[in-house]
Amino acid sequence: MLEIHNLHATVGDKEILKGIDLTINDGEIHALMGQNGAGKSTLSNVLVGNPAYTVTEGTVTFNGRDLLAMKPEERAREGVFLSFQQPVEIPGVSMMNFLKVAVAARREHLGLEPMKGNEFLQMVRERRKLVELDSKLTNRSVNEGFSGGERKRNEIFQMAVLEPTFCILDETDSGLDVDALRIVAEGFNKLRKPETSAMVITHYQRLLDYIRPDVVHVLRQGHIVKTGGPQLAAEIENRGFDWIE
Amino acid sequence: MNNENTISQTHTAPPLKGRAGGGSACAGAAATQYLDIFDSNRALLCADGLEPMNAHRDAAREALAHGGFPSKKVERYRYTDVEAAFAPNYGVNLSRLKFGINARDLFRCNVPGLSTSMYFMENDRFRSDLQPRTQLPEGVLVMSLADACTTYRELVEQHYAQLAIVGDDAIVALNTMLCQNGLFIYVPAGVQMVKPVQVINVLRSTVPLMMNRRVLIIAEAGAKAQLLFCDHAQDDIDFLATQVTEVYVGVGAQVEIYELEETHAKSHRFAHLQGDVAEGGTLSHYAVTLTCGETRNQTDVRLSAPHATANLYGCAIADAQQHIENNTLIVHHASECESKELYKYVVDDQSVGAFAGRILVEKGAQQTVSNETNANLVCTREARMYTQPMLEIYADDVQCSHGSTVGQLNDDALFYMRQRGISEDDARRLLKQAFATEVINHITLEALRDRLHHLVDKRFRGELGNCQHCIAPLPTSHKIVK
Repeated sequence: MLEIHNLHATVGDKEILKGIDLTINDGEIHALMGQNGAGKSTLSNVLVGNPAYTVTEGTVTFNGRDLLAMKPEERAREGVFLSFQQPVEIPGVSMMNFLKVAVAARREHLGLEPMKGNEFLQMVRERRKLVELDSKLTNRSVNEGFSGGERKRNEIFQMAVLEPTFCILDETDSGLDVDALRIVAEGFNKLRKPETSAMVITHYQRLLDYIRPDVVHVLRQGHIVKTGGPQLAAEIENRGFDWIE
Repeated sequence: MNNENTISQTHTAPPLKGRAGGGSACAGAAATQYLDIFDSNRALLCADGLEPMNAHRDAAREALAHGGFPSKKVERYRYTDVEAAFAPNYGVNLSRLKFGINARDLFRCNVPGLSTSMYFMENDRFRSDLQPRTQLPEGVLVMSLADACTTYRELVEQHYAQLAIVGDDAIVALNTMLCQNGLFIYVPAGVQMVKPVQVINVLRSTVPLMMNRRVLIIAEAGAKAQLLFCDHAQDDIDFLATQVTEVYVGVGAQVEIYELEETHAKSHRFAHLQGDVAEGGTLSHYAVTLTCGETRNQTDVRLSAPHATANLYGCAIADAQQHIENNTLIVHHASECESKELYKYVVDDQSVGAFAGRILVEKGAQQTVSNETNANLVCTREARMYTQPMLEIYADDVQCSHGSTVGQLNDDALFYMRQRGISEDDARRLLKQAFATEVINHITLEALRDRLHHLVDKRFRGELGNCQHCIAPLPTSHKIVK
């Protein structure tokens, strides 16, 4: 599904990613761990095409296509979804209108018929329940007046509505209490189709108790310094990062 | 249409030689051509039956001759070049040639779901022959100002040119000197109109045309009225329109005025509204400029007795080379009055927006509550926004605030939307619309509010160039009076 080869990226003048190699196959979940500033969020931002980041070297192919050549919206329509670490508030743009435009764009890209109004509403209602998101929230402007936890839930809700094939969860667990974490993680598991892949960025084992990774990577100073199975996350939880060479 | 011979040209005499027809040495070339028109057509302008209007023409002429058009050095005119706008050669329809509007054009601005008593104006001519089928409440008058000069002479005499003072402003003077017709609306004491009055102004001509429209609105004590003015330009012609509106809001009366402009790049609009609000009365004014060429709306309201309220709202959307100015003055003359102003602009491409709002709290106007906000979205490096909120307070027990913001589209929000598959164009459009929405949400007429959301959306989609899209099925609620 996703092949990253020798990826280098900068923010401003500073090189953050210094040669990342990573392959994620269909249906696999990869966890990305590492200390603050290791480059985890930079990698996720580069994959979704955030214009604030510049790729200086390397390639990324997504289902055989050159991901880096696509605009952010094209990547999204191809099925790449980022659950933002800090989802932005968009006053005046209603959640429903926002979702309608986004769903229409994705469906058009996939060659699907536009959704009828009532069909759309029903779909939204069903997906909303999966993450136990209050209907009051979907009637508001995007993320406006949402608590930190509600924003994270809203991210997973949007994922449910857009049905991406590759999801990046960027510290989706931060700012969530134990119950909210369970709801969000279970929502994610319920939604996930067998072929859907994911890259889960986290500092803690906690989220990975719910979303079980197939592969765990440790990122340090822009390099992947260790790759292992799920037990690697447990080991980091116990011993921290310092023991990794 | 063979009307070249019947429309008087502003350049009847070589205007740049100046002083023709007794124009004063103080008046610039642009003003002189209008003075010439007045002088050589005095008999036509001072027609029988227009006595209440005619009574002010000489004073108006003198004021214009004395001061000419204001330069950009004049404080209230620093953002719009009046001289340049009035200099070109326009026809003036002094002999009242009729252009005629066909039925299909008439109804193209119908606001679905909003049941109104609909009237039409063609340039400055009230179409008395097109009347809504529904009856107005007893005593309410919506009619041609020229007719009112005869039929309700005393009323017009008492109110005409009393708020819009010719010595105060050159455009008011010009309008008073040359206007021949307009609209008269009268709501008697205690009459609360349920249905809004909608007036559709259509600019029509086959030659570049200048017109001077006059509106007189009187709401007596306890009256209530909602008035919706929709301005359209029908022909692909240069138009220069002045409009002077005088509004009297009686004791405890409530008047809401909505002005919606949907003209084109060749339209120049200079509108003045002068309002006076008596004790406990409320005047709310909404200026929505969707499409235009050059527009300057000056809105002045005087709160002359306690507990009076003024609400001024504006939403301006400009792109290409458009120019939109809203210039306001609210005078708190009495104590315990309230005023609120909210103007929002979205300026794109190379367009220019300007807002100047002055709130004057006079000595003795204690316990004034006033809030003024101007917020602006500047979408390109080339677009310009000028903002000047002003608060001038001579009382010591007041609650006043004023402020303005100028910003760009939020990059984080844009990216967030694009990450969900929304194209950059759509994301920008949604953000611009969201910004403008705040003003529209203050509109109390629900059907109009919904319609405006729709029109603003269309505007940002670039589908509003002409209004063909909002043609509603021909309503059966109109009869054509022969």
